[in-house]
Order: sequence, then C-alpha cells, then structure tokens
Amino acid sequence: MPYEDKVLTRKSKADKGSGDRMGSGTVLSSGDKTVPDPILSPDPLSTQRPKISSWRQFKAILRKDIVMELRTKEMITSMGLYALLVLIIYYVALSQAGTNFDVSRISAGLLLLAIVFTSMLGLNRSLVHEQDQGQLDALLLSPIDRPILFLGKAVTNFIFLAIVEVIITPLFYFIFMGNAHTSQMGPLWMVALALLLGSIGIAGVGTLLATMSVNTKGKDFVLAVIFIPLMFPLLLAVVTALNAVILGNPDATTVFWRFAGIAFGYDVITIAIAWALYEFILGV
Amino acid sequence: MPEQAKGTNAQVPALEVQGLIRIFGARKALDGVTFTLPRGAFLSIFGPNGAGKTTLLRVLSTLTPPSQGSGGFKNSGSGARVFGYDVVKDAVELRERIGIISHNPLLYPDLSADENLRFFADLYCINDPQARIDELLEAVELKHRRMDLVRTFSRGMIQRLSIARALLPHPDILFLDEPYSGLDPHAADILDGLIASVRDQYTFVMVSHDLDKGLELCSHALILARGKVVLFEERDDIDREQFRVLYHQTVGLGVS
Repeated sequence: MPYEDKVLTRKSKADKGSGDRMGSGTVLSSGDKTVPDPILSPDPLSTQRPKISSWRQFKAILRKDIVMELRTKEMITSMGLYALLVLIIYYVALSQAGTNFDVSRISAGLLLLAIVFTSMLGLNRSLVHEQDQGQLDALLLSPIDRPILFLGKAVTNFIFLAIVEVIITPLFYFIFMGNAHTSQMGPLWMVALALLLGSIGIAGVGTLLATMSVNTKGKDFVLAVIFIPLMFPLLLAVVTALNAVILGNPDATTVFWRFAGIAFGYDVITIAIAWALYEFILGV
Repeated sequence: MPEQAKGTNAQVPALEVQGLIRIFGARKALDGVTFTLPRGAFLSIFGPNGAGKTTLLRVLSTLTPPSQGSGGFKNSGSGARVFGYDVVKDAVELRERIGIISHNPLLYPDLSADENLRFFADLYCINDPQARIDELLEAVELKHRRMDLVRTFSRGMIQRLSIARALLPHPDILFLDEPYSGLDPHAADILDGLIASVRDQYTFVMVSHDLDKGLELCSHALILARGKVVLFEERDDIDREQFRVLYHQTVGLGVS
C-alpha cells in the first residue's frame, strides 16, 4: 500500500474516535483529507530501519559522557579533591611514624587504597546522573545492546579514573617517597601497567555494581559493601605487583609478572561476566 | 507470528494485550490486563495512583518485562504485542518503533538541544542525523535555541524538545506518560498543538490524571484499578457523566 494511502487509512480509523463529538476544544482531525507532515510522520519505510551500528552507539555514549564532564567537571573535580584529601590524611598519619619508617614498604597499598576510595565516588555518580531526569529510561528505550551500554559506561569510568590517577600518582610519589629508599625501584612502565590493570578491573566491576545499586536505597553504602569484597583478589594482585616494582627485590620481575597475570585474568573474567550479565542486571 | 505480519501490516492491531501480569514483591501491579487497540487509535489510560498505569506503559514500551509471558506471547498465551512485536521476544526490534513523551523530559540538561538530539540519533543509528535534527528543531520551533544548554530552557521548551527526541527515529507509536504534568497553560497549549499536528499519523497511548484532557484527545478510554481493567471502550460509546462517576469510584478504590 502506498504510504499516502496508508496514512489516510490510519486517519479514517482514527477519525472514528476523534474530532469534536464530545465537545472537545481541539479539533484533532477534520473531515478533509490532510497531507501528513513528512517531518513529524512515521517513517514511510518503517520496516526498513537503519542498520544498527554498535560502534556508533558506543562512540555516542563515550562522547556524551566526556562532553558533559568537560562542561560540568563534576566527577573529575570531586574525585580529584577527594583523592587529595586522602593524601593529606595519609600525610598527617605518617608524619607521626618517625624518620626511620620506610614508607615505600606500604606505599603500593596506600596508593591503591586512595584510588579505590576515589573510584567509588565516581562510579556512583556515573549512573546517578543518568537518572536525574529519567535519561536511563531513554537509553534503555533505544535499540542499543545492553553490553554496549556497559562497555560505554565502563570505558568512560576508566578514562575519568585514569585522569585522576595521572594527577595523584606523581603527587603521591613526591609527597611520600621523595626521601624513601627507592633506588632499587623498577621501571615506571611497570608501575603504570600495574595501575592500568587495576583501573580496568575497578572500572569494569564498578560499573556493573553501580548499575546494580543505582536503584537501591543508600546506593553509596550498597556499592561500598559489595565493591570492596569483590575487588579483593584484584587489589591483592595489584598491590603485590606494585610492591615488587617499588621495592625492587631480586625476584621482583618474576613476582611482578605473576601477579600482573593474575590481575589480567581477573579483569578478563570479571568483564566477561559483567558483559554477559548486564542485560539481566538492568532487568530489560 | 510470521515476520510479514509485523510492523506496517495493516491487519495487525497496534496493541494486543492478553492476560498481562506484572508482580512487584507481593503486589500485583498488573493483574490479567486484556485489550486490543486498533491502529491509529488514541488510547487514554485513567486510574488512581498505584493502579498500574505507568507499569502498563513501561511493559508496553519494553522497559519492564511482564511477570508472566516472559517466554513471549506465543508460548505462554499471555503477554503483549505492539504492532505485532512481542514486548519480550521482539524487544530490540520494537524499541526502534516506539517514541515516549513523559513528564520526565528524558534529556540531558548539560547538553545543548542539538547535542541531545545528536546523541539519540546516534543511538538509533539514524541516517543523515543532522538533516533530521534540523527539520525536527524547525518543526518544534527550537532551531534558534539549538546550541543552548537544555538546563536554560523553560518547561514548555523542554517538552517540545522531548517531542522532537521522541519523533527522531520515526516511531510507529507514541507513549505519553502524563505529558501535561508541570506544564503551564501556554506550554500545554503548545503541546496540544504539536499532538494535534501529528495525531493522524500515529497510534497514541496516554496515561493521564486529567479526565477532561484525556477524554478530549482519545478515541478509546481505559480505566485501571488495582492492576485490573475496569473499563475499556471506544469514546463514542462512553457517556461522559457515567464515565466520570465510574472513574471517581475507582479512585476511591486506591491501590491494592
């Protein structure tokens, strides 16, 4: 059936119940033939919908989140400030430890602790701002595969976390390790790799858990309670790998690669699970 | 249902709802809802708070799965189809054909009108998105504000942009969830005009608390109470006074 005819057929059916038979103030359709406005009309070839491109949808989510963050600076500012406060607290606490205390022995744990706490702040915000005006419903109404939505949000969280890490890691080094025994420390790229593996896992698992907790009461508390225990294997692996690099023991390289491998395995497995479960978690 | 019976096939009704059930905890938000709506109709859904109106709209728009019929309409004998597309089994295809206008604008306040529409155009993978965005902004008379952030818009302007967002993918059906909520009379008039301008081209399903407005617009009316259909009739068959009495009786029922 030609499109014009189809619209007019629809119109004739609709006429039965519209118009001003009940004294309505709005005349919805007159008896005259109306030519539908093509801009506001359904697609004449609505069976031939555009081919869905997951790559285009992924880029759209990434671009939208980054543009909004550049505009509001909400997440990076709050995460950065929070990380700075954690460093100040560390400084106050360690200033009482005496001059003989070698901070480098616990520096990997301290740094990762700051990163994990900071990430929780960002993870909570990443989905909450999709709820302010029902935007999450609009996302879920679109023909996007749920795993692509997960990937978009996880990569955005990773980027924001990485930006904060790039700021606080050198700061941490200069504040706490400037005078420490770091002459044996391994190459910087090993530190970066360990942090990268940690950040991927934090962003992946964190995005999944933030989605689970976003509709719960006390979402901050819920996220923290589930997040830390689930992240424990990753945190242990990354801290051990980082410690090996920082302390530079004779078997540092072996230990580093063993635990970097564990962290990598954790990332792959958890992200695969998150990918598979995301539709179920969203409930649609 | 064979593939050719979906979508634009004129024989397929706009909505087929059969024994639809949705349970939240111990409460049945939808309890065996059944009705069929022809193409091109305008259905107004009325009912007290908690009657299941928004749940029904969410199930029909694939945002909430039904508690029964999760295997699809065909297998379970209960569920819902929109233009022949099962809300569970064909959810992905169906989402391309649905537009929603809600009291929530479903827009990002920190993006401009253009950026908002561009984002949704990319999610729907619309061909030549800029041309489509331009024509829609023109149609809702927001072209001059296209680069302004949505947070600077008035409620009426946001609702107009919300309509542009809903029409972006050329949907076959429009769901309206209390679209007049929070609008001043002038903005409500503008929304009336926009709905009137597209009335003949779409099937509409509107949830409303406003009896007069809902009856004025609709071709079919449905009253829900405690998740059950109390009344589903064509407007021509409805006596407005009796309808009003029935409506107020159901409001008195409250929620389950």
